[in-house]
Amino acid sequence: MSRMKSVAALGLVLLVSAASLAGEGIAIGETALKTDVKMKNIDGEMVSIADVRGEKGVLVIFSCNQCPWVKGWETRMAALGNKYQEKGIGVIMINSNDPAVSSEDSFEVMQKRAAQRGFEFAYVVDADSSMARAYGAKVTPEAFLFDASGKLVYHGTIDDNMRDESAVTKRYLRDALKSVAMGQDVAVQETKSLGCSIKFRKTE
Amino acid sequence: MSKRIASTVTGAMALTVLFFALSGEVLADNAGGNGGLEVVPVTAGQVLEAVRGSGERVVLVNVWATWCSPCLEEFPELVKLQRNYAGKGLRVIFVSADFAEEVDGVYEFLAKQGVDFRTYLKTGNDEDFINALNPGWSGALPATLVFDSGGRLVNFSEGKASYEKFEQMVLDVLGE
Repeated sequence: MSRMKSVAALGLVLLVSAASLAGEGIAIGETALKTDVKMKNIDGEMVSIADVRGEKGVLVIFSCNQCPWVKGWETRMAALGNKYQEKGIGVIMINSNDPAVSSEDSFEVMQKRAAQRGFEFAYVVDADSSMARAYGAKVTPEAFLFDASGKLVYHGTIDDNMRDESAVTKRYLRDALKSVAMGQDVAVQETKSLGCSIKFRKTE
Repeated sequence: MSKRIASTVTGAMALTVLFFALSGEVLADNAGGNGGLEVVPVTAGQVLEAVRGSGERVVLVNVWATWCSPCLEEFPELVKLQRNYAGKGLRVIFVSADFAEEVDGVYEFLAKQGVDFRTYLKTGNDEDFINALNPGWSGALPATLVFDSGGRLVNFSEGKASYEKFEQMVLDVLGE
């Protein structure tokens, strides 16, 4: 490969890497964004992250109705959300999917799903997908947990086995929530798993 | 008489050599040529080995799953891309993220799509798999990674893409 092509290829790799890491998104230690943005909740009320924030912190989960990976984890997410909301961590689940692309992500199905799963927390519509973009959220489910001081202390997935709860060995989100509720440091702060891409609404 | 034997033996040797040469090519090509539909369990490391060992100018790895509808929607475009660029330096490598118990469904889908070459099935831990292929990848499916002949990641896209986008990602490397 010629020198020019090598340089160009390297440049492209750096560009791709930089685009993935810089700009949008919230890094560990940074504070939440767009906390005053009102989004339509399943009960029809307009709710913001600031509205639900608890004295111990706030959990923001990007989720949806359609994704099989969400469905696999949904009862666990409901249980964790309900439990830690009681313990002073505000909880808000955000659906950023475009229902025109993903018909199962309509508001009506959000309401049904929340009722089915017994969500006691807000499940809101990110009407222009701008919340997902601001947070750098790309996949459902994707959790962002902020502590009492408002700093991001955990970003990632629910646990290490979507398919089989009895085979879970690492309860990442539960452990993070437990630590935050006790005002302690979170041991494992960033995790990843496979999931469904967020169906961003078109920006125009 | 000995001349005839000699030429017969030579002829037979030549045919034997030719036979093995051709077999070698078929076997080598099985990894990407039309050696028949296969779904082979792999780690991310093994996917990268297949990328580096492809011998092609550009390798497009697409991570998909039967439970991922945008993956299924864009799939025919990738099959079409492989057909259009076969012999022009592109290898398309499909890696399914389905679970091992679901491999029948994977075969069924691939067969319907007209895939007649080797594909792969992810094994092992999600996070290791994701980060080994691209630390900048969130883990969302579908994901498309384009590597150059040196096995370097040059282009990446997550979420459903069009034929034109796939083609452009490949042409960026083919230098057109």
